[in-house]
Parts: sequence; structure tokens; C-alpha cells
Amino acid sequence: MLFNPEFQAVILAAGKGSRMPELTAGKPKCLLPVGSKPLIWYPLLKLQQSRFTDVIVVVFENQRAEIQTAIDKTDLKIKVEYFPLPSNEDLGTADTLRLLEEKLKSDVIVMSCDLITDINLNNILDLFRKHNASLCTLFFNPQAQEPIVVPGPKSKHKPERDLVGIDKQTNRLVFLASASDFEFDVSLPKALLRKHTSLNVYSNLIDSHLYIVKNWIIKYLKYDQNISTLKGELLPYIIKKQLAKPQKNTVTNTSIINIQDSNDIFQFAKEVDLDILIRESSTYTDHFGDLKASYHSDPIRCYSYIADTKNFGIRVNTLPAYWYINGKITDIWCDVTNEKELVKIDSKAEIKSNQVDDKCIIWESCKLNEKTSFKNSIIGSNTVVNSFSRVFNSVVMNGVTIKERVALENCIVCDGAVIESGSQLKGCLVGSNHTVPEQSQHCNEVLTKSDQLMEF
Amino acid sequence: MSKKDSDIGQKSDIIQAVIIADSFGNEFLPLSNDVPLMLLHLVNKPLIEYTLEFLSFGGVEEVFLFCCSHVDAIKEYIKNSQNENVIWSQTTKVNIIISESCRSFGDCLRDLDAKGLLRGNFVLCEPGVVSNIKLLPIIKKHIESSAKDKGTAMTLIYQEAGVGQYGRCPREEIVLASNSDNRVLFHKKINYNNERKINFPLEVFLENNCVSIQHNLKDTHIAICSPSVLPLFSDNFDFQTRDDFIKGLLMNEEILGSTVYWHLIKGNQHGGAITNWRMYQALSQELANHWFYPIIPDVKKYSECFGRGAAVGHNCSISESSNISKSIIGNNVTIGRNVTLENAYIMSDVKICNDCIVSNSIVGPKSILRNGCKVTFGSVVGANVELNKESFIENSLVQSKRPEDDYDDVDKLGERAYRLKLVDDDEEEDIVGNKLARRFSRLHLDEDYAKSDDDSLESSDSEDGLSHVHSPVPDDTNMFFSEVIDSLTRGFEDKLQCDNLILEINSSRYAYNVTLKEVNYNVIKAILNLPFQHSSGQQYLPALLRTLEYFSPILKNYIRNNDAMEDCLQAIEDVAASNNELCECIAKVLNWFYDRDHITEEAILLWYDKLDKISRVNARVVPFIKWLQEAEEASSSEESE
Repeated sequence: MLFNPEFQAVILAAGKGSRMPELTAGKPKCLLPVGSKPLIWYPLLKLQQSRFTDVIVVVFENQRAEIQTAIDKTDLKIKVEYFPLPSNEDLGTADTLRLLEEKLKSDVIVMSCDLITDINLNNILDLFRKHNASLCTLFFNPQAQEPIVVPGPKSKHKPERDLVGIDKQTNRLVFLASASDFEFDVSLPKALLRKHTSLNVYSNLIDSHLYIVKNWIIKYLKYDQNISTLKGELLPYIIKKQLAKPQKNTVTNTSIINIQDSNDIFQFAKEVDLDILIRESSTYTDHFGDLKASYHSDPIRCYSYIADTKNFGIRVNTLPAYWYINGKITDIWCDVTNEKELVKIDSKAEIKSNQVDDKCIIWESCKLNEKTSFKNSIIGSNTVVNSFSRVFNSVVMNGVTIKERVALENCIVCDGAVIESGSQLKGCLVGSNHTVPEQSQHCNEVLTKSDQLMEF
Repeated sequence: MSKKDSDIGQKSDIIQAVIIADSFGNEFLPLSNDVPLMLLHLVNKPLIEYTLEFLSFGGVEEVFLFCCSHVDAIKEYIKNSQNENVIWSQTTKVNIIISESCRSFGDCLRDLDAKGLLRGNFVLCEPGVVSNIKLLPIIKKHIESSAKDKGTAMTLIYQEAGVGQYGRCPREEIVLASNSDNRVLFHKKINYNNERKINFPLEVFLENNCVSIQHNLKDTHIAICSPSVLPLFSDNFDFQTRDDFIKGLLMNEEILGSTVYWHLIKGNQHGGAITNWRMYQALSQELANHWFYPIIPDVKKYSECFGRGAAVGHNCSISESSNISKSIIGNNVTIGRNVTLENAYIMSDVKICNDCIVSNSIVGPKSILRNGCKVTFGSVVGANVELNKESFIENSLVQSKRPEDDYDDVDKLGERAYRLKLVDDDEEEDIVGNKLARRFSRLHLDEDYAKSDDDSLESSDSEDGLSHVHSPVPDDTNMFFSEVIDSLTRGFEDKLQCDNLILEINSSRYAYNVTLKEVNYNVIKAILNLPFQHSSGQQYLPALLRTLEYFSPILKNYIRNNDAMEDCLQAIEDVAASNNELCECIAKVLNWFYDRDHITEEAILLWYDKLDKISRVNARVVPFIKWLQEAEEASSSEESE
């Protein structure tokens, strides 16, 4: 006999990383090294620590093997099922869930592969359980960011802003829209204000892209093929529908005009009769100020968990975010991984250098020759650094070859790059498999085969 | 309660307050012709007493009472009170300022500015304030925010009140947005307009990390003002009301360099203002129930002996056979035998003779109601009115003097009783909106309000686009149908006028953008379904006929031409097909429509031709059709003869 688990977890790792094409040209986004682990390890660990035993990871077909190898190498015990997507199709996040419909039997927690946070998932799961919610989201307060210098040419990074409306009394999420959807005025329905008479509208929150959804929402997605993204379309739609009332089954449902759309969203959102009965006979109410039943008798209920300002949470989906997290990961390691031991220097690394400071992270099978110097840097696996070179404040990914007398400072070097001897790079980004010629000197540039970027 | 607080005193040491005595409107007709608003009795005490007691209790030491009309009466009243050493006169000095040329609230403040009487921050009370708010902490807060923000002009004081709460005036519904410092960023009265959306400027959200939007507030009409308020009124001659002022400041924030803050009162503090009869009613009840403690009304006995709660003044003579509930009775009132008072407000020196009924109405001082009078449905009887025996007053205003212009003989009810016509002063306002507003600004009729409010909430619950996501086919027609059902049910139960219902239906029609055909169809369908709300089975037909009879004007309005008849018949057919009750008596119903000339013979025959001949409905209709055809033949043969 097989029981359905309470929640099923899905990690979406089939993103193209289009906000940081320099890094993801030669590598799946979810495998970008963060500290001593690939990016996707962090959400997987989060799930494992919240007692999830299984997870579905959605990947591109052509990246599947690479990702599987990388995850198998880590110490994770969670059982990973890979769900490949054809790599040539451009599918939205909701499209992906729609494809998964047959596999999803329980309520679903959807995470992005780029989420790194110290929040306890149980807090959000409990909020979802407590209100028998239809949908739960997680927002972070913006991190107090010290200005950082990102490798590559200077660019102005303008984050997208969401307008998030939350009922003050009940924490219900009643409004969600992107600020760029509006030109001058933001219009809220009067009915919304009459129902939720005291609202907070935030414009600075950061969406974690972690959603817990009831199973019926997946079923609804299957029915409504027009919805292709979660954040942009599904969420605003479900949130909006909280205001609508389910159609009453009156005596008149047989007339020609009144043909009921049997696939109305409320047909999906039906609650169990017993639940309704219990709620009606209970004295509990979630709000005060009017005489309405608890939850206003809404079958659709959306909630938001807003993380405390002390909590850490970031989505590693831009170059600045990637750079920021790598600079910070050793500081926040304990919070993010819940006291796991940080292996800074892999036992299989071959280190002959005596100048490796304690902020460096060295991956397996590295070869750091004599008379090299490392400060506050991450060196990926199978990387070779020859004598008389130094690497400061940099991220060097896998299989990179750094020849003699090279000086790197504030750089990101992608997989398989070769930096010939005598080069001096400062604030540069070296694309994957790119060879930096001898004696070159660069400052704040992106060094890559130009055609590689053109794809995006 | 400390009267002086060194923190707050500032340089000028004393706290000053301004009371504007006139409301400059005609809300209180006909009573306001005889009695100034300030001296209007509210649970047996003139309104001004409450306002002054509140200010004195709040630590105000100098009050400027700004009067524009009935000046002598107010002057005399204040003088008498001071001579009698009433409580407030011990600590508070009252100066009366007279300016009969002022035409608005704004004019008063401009006049005050010219006079230069106010020195520092001051408390501004709009007309009719009743409250027990502790002012000192709020003044202190105002001073604090002025120190941080030099432009601080005003702190508005609000109280929490849920949607539909008794003391929340539907004409003063506001939406307010503020930032985390309680600075007002957006302020809008939403009243009774049909707007279904409220537009906030985008920058309100983008410039502030967290904006709080409140729609659970009730205005106390009390504000703390900085000295800059008066010059701002002088500089902007178009500011007529306090709302104009707030709006102007928010719109021209950069130019005027002034900001508005707000404060939410908590705990057992309570506030409100009598801005119309509805608020008069709400505040009367609140006062009688001691919500404003320690400010309490002057009623000798507050007894439960007349049913649910009644407050009775001094020297009253009330017959034991009278039935009084939820009412407030002034001094020296005589009430005869077998009188029913429900939700009635009887002022001083009124004589109500035997067998009268007063419900949901106000009777002004020194009026006389002769035997068997009936005053109901939000009527206001002015001062010195004498109603003849068995008068019936419903939903109207009555005054003792003969109105000067626009006078009609029909409106004469007695030697000292004339029905007053309301002349709408602002023509610009949409007529429908105005009528509705008038209706609601009168008395709170009964518990129905809360319900109808619910309906309006649900009705606006339809497909409100929050985002630009595609949405499934909107079920506007269904929404419209349920709206019509609601309107008609309410109309039938409360015996509302059909004209008003037609207006309501038409506005729903535009709200849901329904075609005329669907309107006709759904209205008929709704009427046919109405009796199911009350009865079923055998009683359906009588109930339906009663309903049809009542809604005749509506039917007449919608069934105007052949197309409409067709829609009507279609509706009858559809409802009959799904309901046994109607199916059983469809012939009789059709006959009714035919008899009343709502549907012509041709239309019925045409419809019958198209009718599905094997349906159940058909079988029931056949006898009627036969009769029709025979009648037709008979009449045509008669003609030919």
C-alpha cells in the first residue's frame, strides 16, 4: 500500500540563466559553484533538512547527465528523480508543472534551483497547514547590501519590483503585481478594500520563488492551458480569484444563458464538506471588524510568509547576486546549512602552496603548485595553478588552467578557461573554454569568445 | 487628568481650540431653520455641551466658537452656561467669533487667520463633534512630528470602525494610505459613486517600502493643526472644506511644502461628529449607552422597562400602555396611551397623543402629534409642528412654517405642518447618486443596511481585473441576474418604490454591460423566481401573482415592444421548464400577463408556434392558447358582423 506524502517537492533547474549569460554559456546555472558546492545543492539540502525524502528536479534533457553526476558526487541523501525537458523548447514555469501533473498527487512545494536562504521551511509549511491555504509564498526583506564591485564592465542593475499587498490582520496575500505593469496609477478594486480593510502594500520585498500550492492548482493548470508562468500569470490569477464568490447552485441553472462553465476555478477549489462544517461550527475566526465568517468563507486562500529582516535569503540569478553570495558564503555557511561542517579544502586536492588563507575554498583534485598565493578565493575542481601566480578575491571554476606568473584579482573564471603566463586580470570575467593570451592585461572586461554570447 | 503638561504647553502655554459651529449644508432641515446645529438636542443635551466638555476634559483652555448663523441664540446659551458654572466653564474660556459673511468652512478659517487670534498648534473641531479622546498625547505626537518634518500641517484623528459599523457614516467612507511614519500619502472619500476601482498613484508605492492602506476608519472630525494651517487656507482661496485642504496639500506637496499625518485612537477613546441625521442617530445610541464615558448624556432614567433600551429625560409623562424601544425621549414629553415608539428620537416638550406610531423618525421640540398619527421611514418632523389626527408621514420632512417658494397645496398637512421639498443645491452632482445619498444620509432604517451592504460587496466581487492575465469568459450575466434577484427581494420585502428598483437594475445593467435583451430576460426570470424565496408548492401561484402585481411598474418599464415580449415569454418558458410549480400554473400566469396588456395576443401565438410541441410546458399551455384562439375568432367574427 502506497501512501501519498503530505507534500511533494519540485525543484526547477531548467532555467537558462538568462540574467547572467556570461556565466551560463557553458554550464547549467544550477551547477555554478557557490562556496564548496554547486548552486542546486543548497535548495536540495534545505529540503532534506525539512525531512523531505524525495524530490523531483526538472532539468534540460541535454544537461541531465552533467547535473546528475554533480549531485551524485555530493553527500546528499535525498532521493532525486530527474524530469527531463526537451532543451529546444522554451517552456514557462507553469508549463513545466503542467507536464508534471501526473506525477503530482499531493500538495506541491515548488522551489527554484537558485535559492539560498537560512529560513526554516517548516515555518512556511506550517502557515500553509494552519490555514489550509491554497497557495503560500515566501518573501524576503531586502538584504542590507554594502556596495560591491562586480567583475566585468560596469552596468547599472535595476531590479524588478513587485507590489505585494498583504492583509495586516491575517497575513493573507491579496494583491500581487509587478510595478512595471503600471504606468501612472495602481487601481485596486473597491471590493478588495472593503473586504481587507487594512492592507500593507510592500514594494521592496524579494520574491523567493518558493511556492506551496494545493494539488488542485496543478489540476487547474492542466485545464487552463493558457497560463504559462507561475509568477507572472498563475499567482496573480489565483490571488485575484480570492475576491470572487463561487457560483451558487440556484434553481435556475438550467436556462440557456446560465450554462455553467463546469470548469470554473471554484470547481477545482472545492473544499471538503467536513472541513467547511468544522469551520462553521468552530468559534475560530481569522479576522475581526466585521461579522463575516472566518476566511470570509473563501475557498481560495493565499498567504505570504515574510521572512524576518534578520533572515538571509537570496536568489542567485544575476551576476551581482552570484558575486555577492560567493563573497559571503563562508560567513553565512552555518546559518544556511544548519550547522553543517564546511569543508574548505577537499582532501583530494594537491596543495603545495603555503599561502592559502582561511577564507579560500579549494575543490577536489586541484593542483596548486609551489609559490602560489591565494586569498579569499574559490578554486573549482581539476584546476591547475602554476608557480608564481596569485589569485585574490576570485572565483575560479572547474578545469581551469592558470599558467605561471598570472595575477587574478576580483575575477570570475569559467570552466575550462586557460590563462596563459604573465597575464594580469583585474575585475574581469573569463568565459568558459576561453584562452587568455600571454602577457595580456585587462581591467573590468568580459573576456570570451564573442560568438558564444550571441545565442542569448 | 492633568490639565497642564509642561511638555506640551510650548511657549504660549495654553492649548487653544477652534469649533466651527455651522455645517453650511441643509442636512438638518427642517430643524436647522429654528434651532442652530450647536443647540440641537442630542440625548437631551445641546450638542455644544458635549463638544465643550470634551475639549475641557482634553485639556483645552481657550476655545474659539465660530458662529455664522443663529448667533444670538448661541451667545445667550453660552452666557447662561457660564453663569450657571457648568463643568466646562471652570477650566475653559469660550470666545464667540461672529462672522455672518462666511459661506464655508474654509471662509471661517480664512477669517480666523485675518483675526490672528491663534498662537500655536490648535485643535480644530468640525461642526457636531462628540468625543472623549485624550488630546494631550496626540498634541504631543503632533509636536514631535513637526520637529522631524517642518512641513507638518495637520494631524487627522481617526477611529477604527469596520465596514458596515453603525457609527460609520456611509457618506464619509474614506480610503487612506500612509507610510510607516503615519504620513498621509493618499486620501479619498469614496461615498456612493459607482466607481469599482480606486486608483492610487504608482509613486505612492514606489517611493515607500511599505504603504499601509486603510479602509477601516471613521473620521472623528477632530484634527490637530499647526499654525501654518490658517495661512494655507488664506493662500488657497479654493479650499472650502477640510477635505479640499487635504487634497490640495497632497496634490501640491512640493509647492505648498506641507504634509498631513494621521493618528489612530485606541483603547476606550471614542469620537464622531454629527454630520447628518444618520450620524445623529448613531451617536445618540452610543451616547445613551455611555460609549463616551466620562462624557455622558443627561437622562434621568435609562431603563429597560420599555422593551429594548430607551433613554428618557426629566418630567416626562409616559402612559404605561405605550411600547417604546430603542428610542430617546427629551424633557417634558407627554406620551399618551397605546403609543408605539421604535427607534424614535423625541425632543423636548413634545406631546404625543393616543395611538400614535413613530418609528425610525425624529420629532422636533414643541411638536404635537394628535391621536393616531403615524410617522415612519426616516421622517423628520421639525419644531413646533402640529400634526392633525391620523396623519401619515412617511419618508418626508415636515416643518411648521409655510415654505416660501415652490409651494404646493398637496404639501399642506395642517395649519402648522407643511411637507418640505428638498431642493438640491448642487446641480452638478449626478441625479441618481444624489438621490441615493439622500436616502442613506437619513436615518439608519433598520438592520437591513448591513445586509444590503453585503450585497453590494458581493456584487462588486465579480471579475475585477487585478492583473493583465487572460481570464475565462466573464459570467457578467450571471452576476447581473443575482444582482437583480437581490434588488427585487429587498424591494419586495421593504416595499421600496418600483421606480427606484428600476434605477437600481439599470445601474447594474451598465455595471455588468448586459444587453437589453438579457436585461428583459433576466428581470422576468428573477421575478418568477422570487416566490421560491418564501414559499413553494401550492402557495406558489398566489405568491407569484402578488409579486407580479407589486412589480407591475417594472414589467411595464421593461416589456415595451415585441422583442421584449419575446424575451419575456422565453423567460417564462425556461423557468417553467425547470420548475414544476410554475409549469403547473403557466396558463394562469400567461393569462395574467395578457390581461394586464404586458404581452399581446400576437406575441403569445408567435411564441407558441416556436414552442417545442412535445415539451411538458406545451401541454400546460395548450388550453390557454385554444382559449385565446377562440376568443380571437369570436372577436373577429363579431367585428365582421
